[in-house]
Amino acid sequence: MVDEQGPSDLDFVRRIKAGDEQAFEEMVRRYHARVYSLAYGVLRNPQDAEEATQDAFLTLYKKIGTFDESRKFFSWFYRVALNSAYSRARRRQSLPTVAIEDRMPKFLGDGHFAADVPDWSVKIEDEVAARELAARAGEFIAELPPAYRDVIWMNDVEEMTAPEIAETLEISIPAFKSRLHRARLYVRQRLSEVSNPRPRTAQAAV
Amino acid sequence: MKHDDLTCKQLILDCLLEFEGGAMAEEERRELQLHFEACPPCMSFLSTYRATGMTLKMLKPTEIPPALAETVMSFVRARREKEKK
Repeated sequence: MVDEQGPSDLDFVRRIKAGDEQAFEEMVRRYHARVYSLAYGVLRNPQDAEEATQDAFLTLYKKIGTFDESRKFFSWFYRVALNSAYSRARRRQSLPTVAIEDRMPKFLGDGHFAADVPDWSVKIEDEVAARELAARAGEFIAELPPAYRDVIWMNDVEEMTAPEIAETLEISIPAFKSRLHRARLYVRQRLSEVSNPRPRTAQAAV
Repeated sequence: MKHDDLTCKQLILDCLLEFEGGAMAEEERRELQLHFEACPPCMSFLSTYRATGMTLKMLKPTEIPPALAETVMSFVRARREKEKK
């Protein structure tokens, strides 16, 4: 099959199943960057991400026979990649994840905000401050429970589409949206905390 | 829904994602916009939610090691050879 995008993933999958090494190399070229980025999102360390990428392609090579051709290849393979990253993460000391409920916005019974909402958004106009916040945001994403971390990383950092993410994680679009929003609310709250280092006692004294 | 009927809680928890995602009908968007403009805490929340999104965009791109594709292929090739023996 020849179309504007060249051979499809499925063509390559079938050729790999038939033992075609060139097709395998083509898949490595096509997917290595995305797989590495996904692994990096979980592991946050270049060496671990590289090893997880190798594991993922080894799994591709060994398990391609079990791939169900009625599914989309990328969603199967991104799951393989995430699983490789998670199994590596389990082997090293894993970061404790947080209770995201504690960092959701709080409202009064009448639906108004329960406390002041400081506006720190002007900070990101300063390039140095913005880079610092970005580095912190990466750490805050890493604290999230995996169900939230994968969604926000794939959507906001990797810029994958909603259907791609929902299919990869085998969740519905409404579940995807709910997780994405809560993950962003969490990261926003954490960024607020590091952007407004006013001591609580000073606030209470006003 | 008229913006007067909408609480901050509903706006932030139930509507903000769609409001920012751009998939919302124009009329509904305008209603929500009125709430934001009349409500300083919600406006601050919106600004910082947007700033969070822009901050996350700065995390991109993950730097891909230059020889990664070759490394992966040699790794898989080596493992395959080992298993043949």
